[in-house]
Amino acid sequence: MSTARDEILQALRANRPTPENHPLPPVATLGDLDASRERFITSLRILGGDVLEPVEGETLDQAILRRHPDARMICSNVPEAKGTLPVEKVKTPQDAATIDVTVVRAPFGIAEMGSIFLSEAQLPINSFAHLGQHIVVLLAADQLTANMHTAYQERPEFKTANYGVLMSGPSATADIQGVLIRGAQGVRSLSVWFT
Amino acid sequence: MSDKPVNHARAAEHFIEDAPHLQFHDERLWDMRQKRDAQMHILPEWQELREEASRIKEHTLSRLPEYLEQFETNAKKNGIHVHWARDGTEHNRIVGEILKAHNARNLIKSKSMVTEECDMRPYLAKQGVTVTETDLGERIQQLDDQLPSHIVVPAVHKLTADVAKIFAKDYHTDPNIRDPHLLAEAQRQAARPVILHADAGMTGGNFVVAETGTFVVCTNEGNADLSATVPNLHIATIGIERLVPRMADMGVFIRLLSRSALGSPITQYTTHFRGPQKGGEMHVVLVDNGRAARLGMEDFWTSLKCIRCGACMNTCPVYRRSGGLSYGAVYSGPIGAIIDPTFNERKYSTLPYASTLNGSCTNVCPVKINIHEQLYKWRRVLVQHHEMPFVKREIMHMAGKLMGQPKMYRAAIKATEVSLSTMPRFVLYNWLNPWGKHRENPHPVKQTFNDWYRKNRETAAKPAAAPETKK
Repeated sequence: MSTARDEILQALRANRPTPENHPLPPVATLGDLDASRERFITSLRILGGDVLEPVEGETLDQAILRRHPDARMICSNVPEAKGTLPVEKVKTPQDAATIDVTVVRAPFGIAEMGSIFLSEAQLPINSFAHLGQHIVVLLAADQLTANMHTAYQERPEFKTANYGVLMSGPSATADIQGVLIRGAQGVRSLSVWFT
Repeated sequence: MSDKPVNHARAAEHFIEDAPHLQFHDERLWDMRQKRDAQMHILPEWQELREEASRIKEHTLSRLPEYLEQFETNAKKNGIHVHWARDGTEHNRIVGEILKAHNARNLIKSKSMVTEECDMRPYLAKQGVTVTETDLGERIQQLDDQLPSHIVVPAVHKLTADVAKIFAKDYHTDPNIRDPHLLAEAQRQAARPVILHADAGMTGGNFVVAETGTFVVCTNEGNADLSATVPNLHIATIGIERLVPRMADMGVFIRLLSRSALGSPITQYTTHFRGPQKGGEMHVVLVDNGRAARLGMEDFWTSLKCIRCGACMNTCPVYRRSGGLSYGAVYSGPIGAIIDPTFNERKYSTLPYASTLNGSCTNVCPVKINIHEQLYKWRRVLVQHHEMPFVKREIMHMAGKLMGQPKMYRAAIKATEVSLSTMPRFVLYNWLNPWGKHRENPHPVKQTFNDWYRKNRETAAKPAAAPETKK
């Protein structure tokens, strides 16, 4: 008896259009190749994200409290911030649910979209990026790539990470009468701290 | 499933009767179309992107067996279990077995049109599995026991008051809430405990990358990420046409998808799954369900290029004024009207007529599917296969005879003019004249074109034609 796999592949072989008529186009790099911090910030704001600007003499922990004064559970996975909840306490995916502010570092950002990338390499556990109420993302300004073409071509993470998410601003929905709401099911806000 | 043809026109009539809903629906979708246009105008390379996307998809479809095998090899190498399903029944059985093996009773899922195709939720319910949709719009539709009315914004035909009523029943919120923020918050609060206690998570897949064995999921709410990262078991259901060859190709598609769909540059979340998370298990179910057969249809195979952005729906004057539910199918709008008949030619035989053939769908399609031409071609196929309503068929039959005989045609035109000006309305507007249902018949004229021509031009035209005959 033939398997579903064999049957599907066989039908596709029999039915497909002539492959010679449809050559693979070379990889495209189109559009604006500006990888500046300014472009990144403009794009980030369009998608509802924001920049956490440091005030002189302030530590990252202080800046986070300034942005989120009501936050009690601040959990940091970066040495630059202490937070209030040691990251070692987050062992299971569900453990991240009590966090008010999550602090992580993104290996790169995309100027065209204001997107930041996170993978299991930056997270104690994958749900860490999503279950907290707010997220603060550290990003080096020299780790910006221009647009989606350059990102997929240049960044090795897309081919090596098991879980890789591009977050472009906070979670959002417009499913009720077209009204845009920031902070749907995932993080309510996303702030970028440049280092 | 009943094979009775969907009465799209009657369902649309019902939709149109409700003025506030109709007006909101029409304006909301047109607003999405305009936001899409604004994004297009920002990018001088827009048409180049569409061309690239179309060529990559056509190439991939012509080598689909090879790319599917490549994906399977790479995905397995990364620890993903790959399953193949010929149809919805097989898909549901596979998913049911995976859940059973893990004793999973609570499944959370993000939006997936393929699972709608497979009618999975009722099947799993019978197996004792509670399925909870986590996308807000899809959840609203689940609670209201309706199909999604749009592939991107499933509850776009509802107003805030409708959602308040549904949530009041299931979430015990105030039925008089008119602030969408409060309702979205109610959904967040209701969904969190379900997500935290789920045994398994399910997502669809917008794209599949053969080169790396990756599948890519795009959402705005982040609900796919919650569904995939909180429970340790992740099942993804994906149509076999979703492949692209290389990771670098994703640049083209991500730049087009959300701009075409909602007019936003990118979805808030674009997630790449290449393997299970620490301590987790990941399954991919590749679903055919008629796609391989569609690939063999010379006039219709390019509909498999579709990336499910919904731009053709937002721009379609018929869709905007009839609502997605009027199509009576999983896929509505112009793209639905060309793929639904491949699932059931008789049941969906009316859908290719739900179009003015204005071509706007084709113009906005990010992967350049000739949607309006396929709508026209479907009408031809359906006539050949006799899937045409009786009155329409008889009228076309008579019209064909009439137009083939000039003398009879001219006599008929004259007779029509006489009857239009003399007959009572009930004779002219009845079930034999569906054209006159929402339209006035044309005003009768005193003189037909033929009469006018004979009187004014025929004598003048003759000498000019004379030299022709000498040759």
